[in-house]
This record gives sequence, C-alpha cells and structure tokens, in this order.
Amino acid sequence: MLRRSLLPAIFLLLGYGFWASAEFKTVAAGVAIFLFGMLALEEGFKTFTGGTLEKILKASTNRLWKSMAFGVVSTTIMQSSSLVSVITISFLSAGLLELSSAIGIIFGANLGTTTGAWLVAGFGLKVNLSAYAMPMLVFGILLIFQKQKNLKGAGYILTGLGFLFLGIHYMKEGFDSFGQTINLAEYSIAGYPGVFAFAGIGILATVVMQSSHATLILILAALAAQQISYENALALAIGSNVGTTITAIIGSLGSSADGKRLAVAHLVFNVVTGIIAIIGIYQLMEFVGWASAYLGIAAENYTLQLAVFHSVFNLLGIIVMLPLLNWLVKFLERLFTGQPFEVEQPVYLSDATRSMPEAAVEAVRKETVRLYDLAVSVITDGLSIQRDALQSGEKPKQVVKQSSAVIDEDIDTLYETKLKSLYGKIVEFVIHTKGGYTEGRLKEELHELRDAGQHVIEAVKGVKHFKKNLTRSIRSDNVYIRKQYDLLRRLIVRVLREIDTVRSTPEESESILSLDQVKLEVGKKTEKISDGLDDLIRQQHITVPMATSLMNDISYCKEICWDLLEAGATLFSVPDLHEKAAMRSVALDEQEITEMMKSQEQEPSR
Amino acid sequence: MKAKKLLNKLKDILSDERQAQLARYSSLKKVLKSLRNEKIRLEMKLAEARNEEDRQEIASRLEIISAQRKKGLQLLKELKKERKNNPD
Repeated sequence: MLRRSLLPAIFLLLGYGFWASAEFKTVAAGVAIFLFGMLALEEGFKTFTGGTLEKILKASTNRLWKSMAFGVVSTTIMQSSSLVSVITISFLSAGLLELSSAIGIIFGANLGTTTGAWLVAGFGLKVNLSAYAMPMLVFGILLIFQKQKNLKGAGYILTGLGFLFLGIHYMKEGFDSFGQTINLAEYSIAGYPGVFAFAGIGILATVVMQSSHATLILILAALAAQQISYENALALAIGSNVGTTITAIIGSLGSSADGKRLAVAHLVFNVVTGIIAIIGIYQLMEFVGWASAYLGIAAENYTLQLAVFHSVFNLLGIIVMLPLLNWLVKFLERLFTGQPFEVEQPVYLSDATRSMPEAAVEAVRKETVRLYDLAVSVITDGLSIQRDALQSGEKPKQVVKQSSAVIDEDIDTLYETKLKSLYGKIVEFVIHTKGGYTEGRLKEELHELRDAGQHVIEAVKGVKHFKKNLTRSIRSDNVYIRKQYDLLRRLIVRVLREIDTVRSTPEESESILSLDQVKLEVGKKTEKISDGLDDLIRQQHITVPMATSLMNDISYCKEICWDLLEAGATLFSVPDLHEKAAMRSVALDEQEITEMMKSQEQEPSR
Repeated sequence: MKAKKLLNKLKDILSDERQAQLARYSSLKKVLKSLRNEKIRLEMKLAEARNEEDRQEIASRLEIISAQRKKGLQLLKELKKERKNNPD
C-alpha cells in the first residue's frame, strides 16, 4: 500500500516543485542526470565483469584486510558500491567467497564510496564540470555505437561519467540560483533535534533516489551554495549512509540467504556507524576540524570538511565493527539458515540392501523407476505438456492441442537438484555393489539398470536442448513451425504412453518387445518431418534458420524417444531376470530398425 | 543312449553353468513362444481389420515380430549347438 502510493506522491510533490520554482527544477534535473550517469557507469563496468574483476576478486579476498582493500579500491574506481555489492553477492552465492570476506568487502566499499565526496568537494565544485561533460558524452555515445564489446563498455563508462559531471553541474547551478531567491539555511535546526531531523531527511532522500552517492553530491552542492548549515549537512550525510542500506534490504528480500545475510551485515554496519556518528557528532566535528587543519583544509571549506567527516565516521565504523566480525558472521548464519537445494535423496538404496544381492538389484530398479518418474515430470514440463492431459487417455494429438501454453519451469535446476544427484547416488550404489557380486546375472542386471538410468538422464538433457526452440515456436505466430514442433511433441507423448502401457502389463514379454515397433515409428515419423522441410522453405512458410534449428531438434526428439524407450524396456520388463535377458537378446538394435525402415521404404505397399 | 541322456540330466542338475545355460535356453524358448502366439493373434486381427491405418500398423508389428523371432531362433540354434559341443 505504502509502496503503491509512494510513487504518485513523489510525482505530485515534484510536479508542484517544478511549477513553484525553476531552481528546484534545475536541481531535480541535475539529480536525474546524475542518476542516469550512475546507471550508464554501472552498465559500462558490467561489460568488464566477465573476467578481470572476478579474477582480481578471487585473488584478493583470501585475507580480511585484502577483502576490505578490494572493497575500497573497487568502489573508488567504479564509484558504485551497489555494483560491488552485486558482484560480491553473486560470488558469495556461488560459494567462491566466505561470508566474512564478503562482509569485509562491504566494509571496504563503505569507505571507498566516501572518495566520491572527496572528488566532488575537492575538484568538482570548483571547476566547470559541464565543460568536461560535453566531450565525454560525445565520445562516449560514439563508442556505445561500436560493435566491439570492450569499446561499447568504455563508451558507457565515458557517457556515465559525462552525465555524472553534467548532473553535478546542474545541481550546483540550481543551488546557486536558489541562493538569490530563497535562503534554505533559514530552515536549519540547531542541536540534536536538527541532527535527528536531517538524518531522517537523508535516509528518505537516499531511499527515494536509490543512491547515497547522489544524496551526498546534493548535500555538497547545497552546502557549497550555503543553503544548508554544516551541522545539518553532516546529519544528512549520516542519514544517507543509513538510507542506502534500506534500499539494499528491499533489494535482498527476494534473494538467497546469502544475499540477505550480506544486506543485513550492511545494515548493521551502517546503523551502528550512524548511531555512533549521531551520538558523537560534536566530538567528531571537533576531530574533523583538527584533522582538516592538519591536512591544510581551510576552516571555512565546509564541503571538504564534510568529505573528511564522511570518511572519518565510516572508518570509525570499521574500527568498531571489525572485532565483532566473527560474532556478526555467526549471528547472520543463525538468522538466515538458508534453504539448501532440495537435492533428491534415494528412497530405496541403503547399506542394508547392498548386502543382499537380489534385494540390491530390486532396490536399484525401484530407484531407477523413481528417477524415470521424476524425469517424466521434468520432460513434460520441458515440452510444455499438461500432465493432466497426458494422463487423460486422450490421443497424443489432443494432448498436444490442450498443451498450447508454455510451462515456464526452470528445468536446468530441476535436472541438477532432482535427477543428476539421484542418478549419481544410483551409480555410486551400483559401483559399490557390483564389486561384491559373483553371480553373473545379477551383475549384468545392475549394469543394465545403470544404463537405463543413463538413458533417462540423456533424455532429459535432450529436452533441455529441445526446449529453447520449442518455447519459441509455441509463442510464434507462424502456424507452420508450430505444427512441426507439435508433431515432434506428439511423438514423445506417444512414446511416454506406450511405455506406460508396457508398465501396466509387466508379465507380458511381447508387450516389451512391442516397443521396437515404436522405435520404428519414431524413425519413420522423424524422417517424414525432415523430408517436409524443403517444401516448407521453398513455399516460404519457414525461414532457413528456422529449418536448421528444426533439423537439430528433430534429431534431439529422436534421441529423446530412443532413450526413453531403451530405459522403459529395461525398467518395465518382466520380473524374471533370465527371461528379461532373453528378451533383450531378441529385441532389435538401432541398425536392425534402420534396415527395416529402409526395406519398408522400398516396398511402401507392405 | 538312454544312459547318456540320463547322465546329461544329472550333469544339468549338478552344474551351475549348465543350470544357467538351461535357464537361458528355456527363457528364450518362452519368449519365442509368446512371440509366436502374438503373431497368430495379430494375423487374425489383420484379417479382420478394415481400416487401412490399422492394417498398416498391424502389418508393421508383424514384420517386427518376424525379425525378432528370426533373431531369437538363430540364438536358440546357437545355444543348442553350444550345449551339444560342451556337454559338461
């Protein structure tokens, strides 16, 4: 409710501000341009995050001080603590970074972000930044239009810097003009009430602008134009430091446990630092005055003193929080236990069954059947086949017709968490069991079951490849390409159905052998679809790239069907192992099926 | 002759390998028998079928069964030969 009404409220307020004051319009435009510059800068740095930054990150985070130094340096260079946070979270989630190192980077990034204030206060407010901004924008845009990735990235960085400079220029201009009409300094509040009020404003401004950097530049510009008092500016800086973590917290709500841990670590650091800075603001002011004098900063140069203050209180935060780091890590790990991937665990395999040969073989069979069932659900999702329709008993054509909507399941994750791990457990069990068996038939059966599992896995892998173009075809307006993919889907549905039929009659050997006929049918139908492609291209119903993709997918479809049939023939065969072996020896292999296909083609009347 | 047959029977009972060979042989025979029954059933079905699509499907299945039986019979022959060549 609050979030929904916030945006219209901001629009109304800004609208009123633009109508009431031209200077406000200039300042607001400056902030908008500045923020746009930040976006462009981030985009530019993202281009270079494909290797270099990651390599540096890996090499420079093995010690806490290195992590902190990385945080300081990378944020100083990129001038975006949020980009550093994003990269840190991704590394943390991938397990390439310890939580303590990640927190170290965040601490360092907090210090690194203060360099922005130094640059603007020491340089940006004194020179005409727009003079630098214009050529930067021109060169930057020219580079953005280049095809080469690195040049494009450099273009974004240059454009980003150009917009940042332009934004600062407009903010400065706006506040300068303000000074001629209205004196905002009249609204300054002295003492602790002022500190709390302006810290609150700082938080709010940062939450709205989603950037503590922008808030700080705004504060510096206002301070340079003497529109706010030095004391209130310090409170605003403290507020902006806290405000930036609120945006990080909001951003981490939907993220993983690692993301949440890091966001909360950021919040704890900045809140603790903020509280210390608020409580000791007057002592800090004295210290900053002394330090500024030591650094040769003039007593009336409040903008640079603000930069000093910003750095000092963040440094103070690091000094206070560092000894508590281990405690913080433990607390966060307890707070967010993290949902480990729901890795599928075997149900039937156990050490107890391993010691009994027959039981072990049956356990492996049952587990592989489970693997098959899980795979079928992943396959149907991957093919966007409605499971209800598949089980309805309707003809494959109808099943596909009823499955016209894309099922957007992440089958890569399902494959990794459910199938791959379970198959791994089956293979492990088979390897450890097989060695202890002397009876040939059982050993052979275990081998066959392991191969059946491999076929199941291969079928799912095939679907993973097939899915990409299939999804595109389902969403496509081209009825011809959709029809071809529907034909392929029908074929897989037919195979799944046939396996189900065989499964329901486990005692009948001839039903298992009937799967050979389905193999023949798969071969014939996929060949027919392939043969029809030339006509479709010639009549311009489909493009050549569509046809080449389809050709690949026909081959995937054939392999999926074949793998499923091979797995089904082993898993749902007769229970007697000798009979099973006899059936396997009678079943036709790929070459025999192909030969039969050829002979039937030569004599179509048969 | 009768004594030799009896001796072979005894060997079958005592030897593990012979047992396995026998199991293979009888399983294959069982499979071939079920395929033959299926063939007869399908041939009757084909004679009754009027729909061309159904007829083609049955004919195709019959062809598969023939190929499977051919393969099976060949294997059976080899097993028989193996048994004859290695009586112990």
